[in-house]
This record gives sequence, structure tokens and C-alpha cells, in this order.
Amino acid sequence: MFPAEAKEIWKTYGKIQALKGVSLRVSSGEVLALLGPNGAGKTTLVRVLVGLLSPDRGEARLFGGDPRCWRSRRFLGVTPQETGFPPTLRVREVVDLVRAHYPKPAARDHLLEQFGLAAKAGRMTSALSGGERRRLSVLLAFAGNPNLVVLDEPTTGLDVEGRHTLWQAIRTFRDEGKAVLLTTHYLEEAEALADRVAILHQGRLLIEGTPEAIKARVGLKQVSFFAPGLPELSHAVRIERVGDRFVLYTSDADRLVVELMEKRVAFRELEVRPLRLEEAFLALTRGEA
Amino acid sequence: MIRLVFVHLKYELLALLRMPGFLIPSFVFPGMFFLMFAAPYLKTPETALKTTTSFMAFAFFTVVFFQYGVGLSQERENPWVPYLRTLPLPAGVRPAAYLLAGLLFALAAALLVAAVAGLATPFHLPAGRWPTLLAALVLGAVPHGLMGLSLAYLTRPRAALALANLIFLPLSYLGGLWMPPELLPGWARAISPWLPTRHWAELVWAASEALPWPAASLLALLGYAVFFALIATWAWRRGTG
Repeated sequence: MFPAEAKEIWKTYGKIQALKGVSLRVSSGEVLALLGPNGAGKTTLVRVLVGLLSPDRGEARLFGGDPRCWRSRRFLGVTPQETGFPPTLRVREVVDLVRAHYPKPAARDHLLEQFGLAAKAGRMTSALSGGERRRLSVLLAFAGNPNLVVLDEPTTGLDVEGRHTLWQAIRTFRDEGKAVLLTTHYLEEAEALADRVAILHQGRLLIEGTPEAIKARVGLKQVSFFAPGLPELSHAVRIERVGDRFVLYTSDADRLVVELMEKRVAFRELEVRPLRLEEAFLALTRGEA
Repeated sequence: MIRLVFVHLKYELLALLRMPGFLIPSFVFPGMFFLMFAAPYLKTPETALKTTTSFMAFAFFTVVFFQYGVGLSQERENPWVPYLRTLPLPAGVRPAAYLLAGLLFALAAALLVAAVAGLATPFHLPAGRWPTLLAALVLGAVPHGLMGLSLAYLTRPRAALALANLIFLPLSYLGGLWMPPELLPGWARAISPWLPTRHWAELVWAASEALPWPAASLLALLGYAVFFALIATWAWRRGTG
């Protein structure tokens, strides 16, 4: 039984097909990062998985049950939008209100300590700063001591320290054998945290696997150097230039370098390295791979 | 399930109590209006009884109509509500807590009117009639709460407050919640018997005098309740996809 599972999900809003047959599984003990450009369908997929939306076709499962049924959500934690806390309730009260829904919630003082809000426990939520609201929102996802947390763009608006705290919390949580589903715009975050990455593009699942596997699947290497100019090259799929510095993407770095030498390109400081996830992601969503 | 209703009730009350913008108009105004505009003219126990109970219905009306009409329409745009739907929260819990909070506030506002009347007028209601009076108040609150709910689902939040006032004030006046219908001008007396507020008042007056409840008013209130329940359901469905 998987913490969360999407089976062939289709969802249309008016004329927009947000999801076109997406299947995805989140397993225990893993961090799955859902990536994709804006409008790719990430938020829709998450909303279907947590029971906020009904799919047109296909099936969503939370711990084997229907996410729209409250019993299926007893081990699920979700981040609220930080703009929506009840303005006249105190931080402590909002935490207790959320904890009250779960069979074995986490201890309140421990949560406040862990997310750096212990000093703000008596504040009204309307008196919190932007960063504090963000921390509270992430805290609430963990308040019920869940087995699956779903974090939508968790580090947007967090300061460096807050991001560090959150990353630590996510790793500890994963190491306890629990599951994390996060959507993010920061590929750096996905590369640092995710055991598996799923890339959505135009409502379809483009690719899914470990960050390494995705980079390998794209199969491109990056070759960079300084040179005064370049002739036509047959082994580069894309060329970027900033001043004298060239960055070339290629599926065969060895032959590209041989070609550069044959065509007598006067390169300096040649570097060959595998793609970062970000570059693999861009290559995939541009259809170069 | 029951425990969660009380948890939500507790925080709902707490949040409302800290909101003077809600508290003062809905809780204090009915008692204050009564003291200023009605109490000085109530010289006999009979007139005091009728007008006090009318204002108690007015107090109930204020709370249920504004809490559901305006309150709910503002809540609709708040992202906190979809978040609550991701918690392991059975579907009926929040409406039940919301309903109970509204009833408690309405009761408090109505009892404030009665307390003012006890001090400033010859108002006296025998102990045995209180339960039936409260039952009449709660019963009449049902179609009016549903009316507020319909308004909440039919309008944009900004429009809701203005529209609520536009409906609320004439209904109170024409229904006889501020002065006995006999004292209304002729045109108003012609409209009055068709309004839900008037039927509510008829129940309340009957209860306060230990008379049987008029069947026509009971039927009318039931009809209004069904009507607004249908509108609210239709408008709610229209708003969710």
C-alpha cells in the first residue's frame, strides 16, 4: 500500500486540460519532488491527491483509501496558504486546532521549537511577519505526526535559516520511513532533497526517476571553454555564448572535443561535466532530449 | 466527531469574540436600539412583552443573517477553508460548529434585550414560557439563516454586506420586529403578512402569551425554509466544480 498513488488521472477545467492521464506513486521512506513549469498541472495533481478535487477520470489513493474521505486523511499533513490563518487566533491556538484532528499528533511545544516559533506562540497570526507565517504553514503540515506530508512550494518566502530547518525536518522525516511529496520551482532543492523526481509538462508525466537517472536519460554533457569564435559544429545540440565563454550541450563529449581540435578552435580552460538537474529539466521541457 | 464539533466551536467563538467589528453590531446593537427607541414608550406589561419579544427576534435575526450572509461569503474567499478540507475532518463538523456558534451568539444578544427590558420596562415573562419562546426564536431562525446562506452563495463578498443591509432593515421594519404591525403605515401593513419576519414574530408573540402557535405562520416559515434551502443548494453547487 502506497502513501499516495495516482492512477491515470484526467482533469479538465473548462477548456483547459490540466492533467492528461497522469500516474504516480509516492512510497514510504522517500522524498518525491514534483517539477514542472507553471501550468504543467502540479497543483492540480496535488489537489486531487489530497482530496480537494475529484478527477474526471482515473483514481487517486491515499494509504489505499479515497482521499475525499476524511478517514483516508488521518496520516496526511498539508501546508496551508500562509495568507489564510484565522487572524484573531494565536499561533498556539492554530497549532492546537490542527493537532486536534489527528489520532496521535506531535507535541505542540516541540513543533514550535523545531520551526523556530516558540517565542511567537502567544502572537495573533495577523501579527506575524511573512517569514513567520511561512514557517507556521510548514509546521502545520507536520502537526498531526503524519506518515505523508505534501508540501507545495515549501521554501518560497523562507529565509536561509528557515530553509535549512525545513530541509533538516524533511530529511529526518524521510529517515523515519515516512513519505514526502513536494512541488518546487527550485531545482537545487529537488536535487538536494529528492530521492525521486517526476517532471510534469503540459499535463503529462514527462519522466520519472532518481535525479541521476534523469540526468543520464537526457544523455547530454556540458562542454564549456573560452574561445574567440566558433565554426559550424556537427556534434553540439545547443550552443550558449556569454562574451568569450561558450557552453555547448552534446550527446558525445569526446567526439565534440575531437571536432573542436580538427577545426582548430583555440579553446582555453576546457571543462566537461554532466548536466545539473536544472539543465536536464530545461532540455526535457524544451524537447531536446 | 462530537469532540471535534466542540473544538471547532471553541475556536469559532474565540475568533468571533476577538472581532469587535462583528461583536458590537450583532451583539450590542439590538439591546441598544431597544433601550433608545422602544423602552421609553413601553408603559404596560402587555406592550412591554410584545415589543421585547419582537426585539429578541430582531436580535436573533441580526446574528443568524449577518453571520451566515456576510460572514460566510467572506469566508468563501479565504484559503483557510480549503486547507481545513485536507484535514481528517468529517464533512458535518464545521457546519455544526458554525451553527452552534451562531445560535449561542443569537441567544446572548436576545438575552441582552430581555435584560435591558427587565431593567427599563415592565417586561415580565413567566418562567414556564421561556422554553417555548426560545423554541419559537430558534425555529424562526432556520429560514432566516438559510436566507443568509443563499445570499452568501449568490453574491460576491463585497456586495454581500450592502445587500444584506438592504434586505435586513426593511424586513425587520415591515415584519413588525421594531413596532407592532398595527402601528405601521397602511402600505407597510399590506406587505407585512407576506414576509418571513412577520411569521417569525407571530410565533414569538404566541409563545410569549402561551397561546397555540398559528398554523399559517408555521407553514409559511416551513415554506420559506424549503425555498431558501433550495436556493442555497443551487447557488452552492453553481460555485463548486
